[in-house]
Amino acid sequence: MKRWGWISALVFFSVLSAAPAQVRVTKSMNEVSSLDISQFVGKSAGAPALFRQTLEADLKASGWFNLAAGGRAEYSLLGEAAMDGDGLAVRCEAYNVAGREKLLGKTYKTTGREVRRLAHKAADDIVLAITGKKGMAGTRILLIGNRTGKKEVYLCDADGQNLRQLTHDNTISMAPKWAPDGGRFVYTSFRSRFPDVYLVNLATGNRNCIANYPGLNSSAAFSPDGGEVALILSKDGNPDLYIKDLDGGALTRLTSTRRAAEASPSWSPDGRQIVFVSDSSGTPQLYVMNRSGGEPKRLTSRGSQNVDPDWGANGYIVYCSFIGRIYQIFVMNPATLEFKQVTREDANYEDPSWAPDGRHIVCTRTSNYRSRIFVIDTQGGSLIPLLPDSEKGDWVAPSWSQQ
Amino acid sequence: MSRNLWFGMLVVVLVCALSTTGCRRKPKTAASGADNIGGLSGQSSELGLSSRLPGEMDVRSEKFASALFDYDSAQVKESERAKIDAVADFLKKNSRTGVLVEGNCDERGSAEYNMSLGERRALAVRAYLVGLGIDGAIVQTKSNGKEKPVDMGHDEAAWSLNRRADFVLFNQ
Repeated sequence: MKRWGWISALVFFSVLSAAPAQVRVTKSMNEVSSLDISQFVGKSAGAPALFRQTLEADLKASGWFNLAAGGRAEYSLLGEAAMDGDGLAVRCEAYNVAGREKLLGKTYKTTGREVRRLAHKAADDIVLAITGKKGMAGTRILLIGNRTGKKEVYLCDADGQNLRQLTHDNTISMAPKWAPDGGRFVYTSFRSRFPDVYLVNLATGNRNCIANYPGLNSSAAFSPDGGEVALILSKDGNPDLYIKDLDGGALTRLTSTRRAAEASPSWSPDGRQIVFVSDSSGTPQLYVMNRSGGEPKRLTSRGSQNVDPDWGANGYIVYCSFIGRIYQIFVMNPATLEFKQVTREDANYEDPSWAPDGRHIVCTRTSNYRSRIFVIDTQGGSLIPLLPDSEKGDWVAPSWSQQ
Repeated sequence: MSRNLWFGMLVVVLVCALSTTGCRRKPKTAASGADNIGGLSGQSSELGLSSRLPGEMDVRSEKFASALFDYDSAQVKESERAKIDAVADFLKKNSRTGVLVEGNCDERGSAEYNMSLGERRALAVRAYLVGLGIDGAIVQTKSNGKEKPVDMGHDEAAWSLNRRADFVLFNQ
């Protein structure tokens, strides 16, 4: 196996004390709460300032807060980030101002250079304590970039920092998708000359080929328990949907559409259903079927193409629809088939992937024939580039880790 | 009795003539059969793929024109049949030669869906070749999805050249 040119990131921080904060949902979905962070001190240069700056950016990016300075904020953050030997010591308290109620009280400590990662952890703790929602600051994004002249898999933090190249296959890499544990991923590579599916362990760098049957091997997606992948194979004569057990290697064929192509499976949060693309109607549309088999049910009726579905832990399916002459991102409730458009029609938006907060998505935005990655708040509407424009080349196929 | 024998022989001769016509002398007869096999409106193209080629292939130097496809379609068009017929003729005259059919798509739309569509294009050409009498075991398929355009343009002129099946001939 080719040697990996990177080292996995290890987290060195440790939580010293954690007063169990009671989780309470005090706000409805779309409301923004005011949060005063002026009483959180981290002004000395270096690590404390970096911690505070990262924490503030994370809280702003979460979408839940309006960061008011003083005045009559509903919530306030108190505490301090200070040097502690070679490392950093942090005290963090969150209060409901009106109720004079302590929602969070934690101290953190880190050695080495994991200051940003520690700030992400604190930000997610604050979001959870105040809103009751899972945060996204500590998660990571896989994506495909071509700045070396070839399409390779890259990895970065949820805020776009720490971008690094993971594969050096010098060929075409496609469709990276996280395992639910956030420590492994699958992707399609042409490194054997043919499209095959590989499983990579990020901590060890180990890579195993899990599908190299004759013909097409692509579009692999982990089941929520991490034990299986759904994928597309053509070994039996036509591209169809299969499930592969990662322990025993057993294959189960789910579709037998002789006159159609399937693609892009994604599992329901309970693992019982799979949404996927099929062109059995003549155009690519979304279908859902039980993991145990049966008849697929068509989900989409509008748009000449509906592709790239991602079924979020929130129960909603985010997908890409070709409307008029442009690709746009939509979110659908598969139980009611109700949907809403989340992108403005100023560019092509494709490849959506849910953040673990169930609120943000990451997707490809293509304008003037250049593709870049953007993070969209499906509730607040903000649209933020993941990477600075100075990161050369095209960036596509983002996948957001759930841990 | 002799009358029955003569009738029997006549049947045998007729069957031989028809099958020879179908498989060798007049490819067009077979072509209309293959149209049903490969197209969206056709019969099954479920000819299981038997084996995988090694990564390093002994590629032959002969070049063949690519077969082109309509937007979002994996149907072998009538206008493209002669190109595939030429590949079939070469394979028949050169034993121990195989062909890798590579399906390709234009730049628009889902990269993952285009991988599946490209494979269907390659499989449709494979089914057509099998209909012409080529042994399916020497016809391999591969999809490049939308990853390997031959024309980097962003208009229909470029797209129409990129929706294609390429032929790579190799020594077995």
